[in-house]
Amino acid sequence: MNKKHILHLYWRAGFGLLPKQLDLLVGKSKEQIINDLFLESKKISPLRINTTGLDAFKEETIKKSPEVKKDYNILNANLMKKYNHIWVNRLATSKETLREKMTLFWANHFVAKDARIKNVEQYNNLLRKHALGDFRQFVKAVSKDSVMIQFLNLNQNNKSKPNENFARELMELFTLGTGHYSERDIKESARAFTGYRFNFKSQFVFNEKQHDSEIKTFFEEKGNFEGDQIIDIILKQKQCARFISEKIYKYFVSEDINVSHVNLMTEVFYKDYNIENLMRYIFGSDWFYNPENIGTKIKSPIELLVGIGRIIPIKFNKTNELLKIQTVLDQKLLYPANVAGWKGGRNWINTNSILVRIKLPTMLLEKESFTIQPKGNFTDKFKLVSVKNKYQEKLDVRVDWKSYQKAVKKVSSNDLIFSLILSEINLGTQNYLKTLGRLTKRKNLSKIMSLPEYQMC
Amino acid sequence: MERRKFLKNSALASSLFFVPNFLKALEDVDLNGLGYNKLVVIQLSGGNDGLNTIVPYRNDLYYKARPEIAVSKNEIIKLNDDLGFHKKLLPLKKLYDRGDLSIINNVGYPNPSRSHFRSTDIWQSASNSNEYPQTGWVGRYLDEYGKKAHQAIEIDDSLSLVLKGEFKNGIATRSSSSLYKLLHESNFNRILEYQNSNHLNEHNLGYLYKTMIDAKSSANYLFEKTKTYNSKQTYPTKNPLGGQLKTIAEFINSGLDTKVYYASLGGFDTHAGQVNRQEHLLDLYANGVSAFVGDLKRNNSFKNTLIITFSEFGRRVKQNAGYGTDHGAANNVFVIGENLKQQGLYNDLASLSDLDANGDLKYEIDFRTIYATILKKWLKVNDKKILNKSFKQLDFI
Repeated sequence: MNKKHILHLYWRAGFGLLPKQLDLLVGKSKEQIINDLFLESKKISPLRINTTGLDAFKEETIKKSPEVKKDYNILNANLMKKYNHIWVNRLATSKETLREKMTLFWANHFVAKDARIKNVEQYNNLLRKHALGDFRQFVKAVSKDSVMIQFLNLNQNNKSKPNENFARELMELFTLGTGHYSERDIKESARAFTGYRFNFKSQFVFNEKQHDSEIKTFFEEKGNFEGDQIIDIILKQKQCARFISEKIYKYFVSEDINVSHVNLMTEVFYKDYNIENLMRYIFGSDWFYNPENIGTKIKSPIELLVGIGRIIPIKFNKTNELLKIQTVLDQKLLYPANVAGWKGGRNWINTNSILVRIKLPTMLLEKESFTIQPKGNFTDKFKLVSVKNKYQEKLDVRVDWKSYQKAVKKVSSNDLIFSLILSEINLGTQNYLKTLGRLTKRKNLSKIMSLPEYQMC
Repeated sequence: MERRKFLKNSALASSLFFVPNFLKALEDVDLNGLGYNKLVVIQLSGGNDGLNTIVPYRNDLYYKARPEIAVSKNEIIKLNDDLGFHKKLLPLKKLYDRGDLSIINNVGYPNPSRSHFRSTDIWQSASNSNEYPQTGWVGRYLDEYGKKAHQAIEIDDSLSLVLKGEFKNGIATRSSSSLYKLLHESNFNRILEYQNSNHLNEHNLGYLYKTMIDAKSSANYLFEKTKTYNSKQTYPTKNPLGGQLKTIAEFINSGLDTKVYYASLGGFDTHAGQVNRQEHLLDLYANGVSAFVGDLKRNNSFKNTLIITFSEFGRRVKQNAGYGTDHGAANNVFVIGENLKQQGLYNDLASLSDLDANGDLKYEIDFRTIYATILKKWLKVNDKKILNKSFKQLDFI
């Protein structure tokens, strides 16, 4: 497998490679490289956070006392931030590259958020567990998870007064896409999901009293359906395999849908709804390595940040600063804007975000000061008290230059650029690079990473 | 994006492949043709309590629902026999008396969301509450009629949904020089120095370069245009909104071709201890706006400026246990400008006895009818194209 193709694979299935990592793979066959990629992700390592501080809180006291509730919320909010931080670290360091990349993908597919860390931790690991598994089991598990039940109001879905929120999004956003179901299908399936609840331990509880056990008609089928059966009927529709294939194609291959490629993927996926098989098929296809698919995708903010971290380890001493960067770049993990998720592609880019993205490497690596403030929360008061117009800040980060310099010690300028930049480099940029001298010099890394070409993968 | 569409929407449509020094050419693209009217949008973020802003001071239900936090009768600035201003809105009373203020009550939308995030998205995108669009109404205005990013400016460091379009975006800046400085302190300018037009194609990388050039061009434009401006107006100190409005006045009075400005004041989420907090916020709002209008008048630009103020939702009629109020639904919108057609109170306050299931005010006027009216009558563009639907025209302007 040639170098370019290996890099492409590792950028889409992961977050890039160091030149020396690339060298280790060169010479291996495509089959072997892809097999190894999946082998490395066989293991499932849950992302854990210590929540023992929450054990002191009992459900009844939280409900009764506003003070206790406040403490409970504050502790949760702090742990959420910490969890965001360790997730970003995980992405930047994990050997289970593909599983982590897929987890990130699914987090933006089955979009849900919650303010309670225990629930969020459980949901995040549910995504990780099913990331390369059976899509059917995945959807069913999602429908029974506390975060989803809360987020899309399944806990308010009663026999006497069905709440259609989950049923609608299940079809519109999670499985079929708009236009492939009727309003009646929503109403009928909402009835099948009545009685879905969860307890204080974040476990699924089926409340039979609230469940509507009458006959429902869904996609021409009649029966006393429960949620799982509704999901089975949805998956019978080939459109479901197509919808997921399209979304995966857009994320892992290209924003520009190639219908014949998606058709092929749909056939593969429809057979058994096995996600690993689908991904193997994509990475094994010749068309995946077509030139128009290489280096032509705009990195998401997390891909940008984590990609830098994969080249040079960076430790944020202040979790809030890591969150601030994600906020300014419009992708704060665990805090999606809405159930539709981040649209990606050119939506990441606007006149302001491009400025921050270009400046980010110097902020991280050169500790260059910046004056960028995220918007205030709806609740916070900083806009009230602080009217400072000039705030110069520097990120409090520890950059592991030693490890970088060791990694690029015997690497030529050309090889460094080759592994850092996948997109074509135009003449002007080539000339600019020539002015920089030996590119592996420490001072040049932020300059290379500031190039618009580096925004691509 | 299709190639054709890209070309159509590119600021360089005509000069892209023919002018060698395209960077220069871009900066010289001729603008205007959209008239002189400006729109300023102020968002009171967090959900301002409309009932304690425009107070139904003769309504027993109001005082019953809010025994501890209601504004008392003798503190009210009376507007008519039913409604009065919160005392901190005194600076706006002058505007009201002159007929430069119109208050539209009970503004909202069907199936209201009580989440700050969702409701803000709905207001900013002008969508239905069950839709999740990725563009804002001002962004779509730029898509249709804009040429440059700086034709819509948000006074902030990052861009809100409202200014994001499908093909074009507005720009966010704290001041006339903050973007300019940002370009100079990073590798940004140096990278652009080496570029020629090869990269400016319809592909993603070309889009990045194009956006960078747009950013540079707008940053330079703002910096150069405002260089000689000097305002004689005094603005209230320690007032974050006042600071933003001062910047907007600087932009307007410097003759920028910007059509829409966006400012916001946060902190209105008054779940607890509402009285003092809201009082302070309304004070900031009223003094900031009053100075702003003064500044515009002094420079003869008030006649071309329309200012609207909204909040993502109002608050519950009944107070809560923490002497505050929870998230509600319909709320009032302020329209400020010269020659308003309907001055003062546009409509009566909705009934306090006929509330929705949550105990919130029912909406009477869809907020998108206000947008539609402003787009058509003030900015003189096709409102249907931008809102993707035809909405009723109101007659406040």
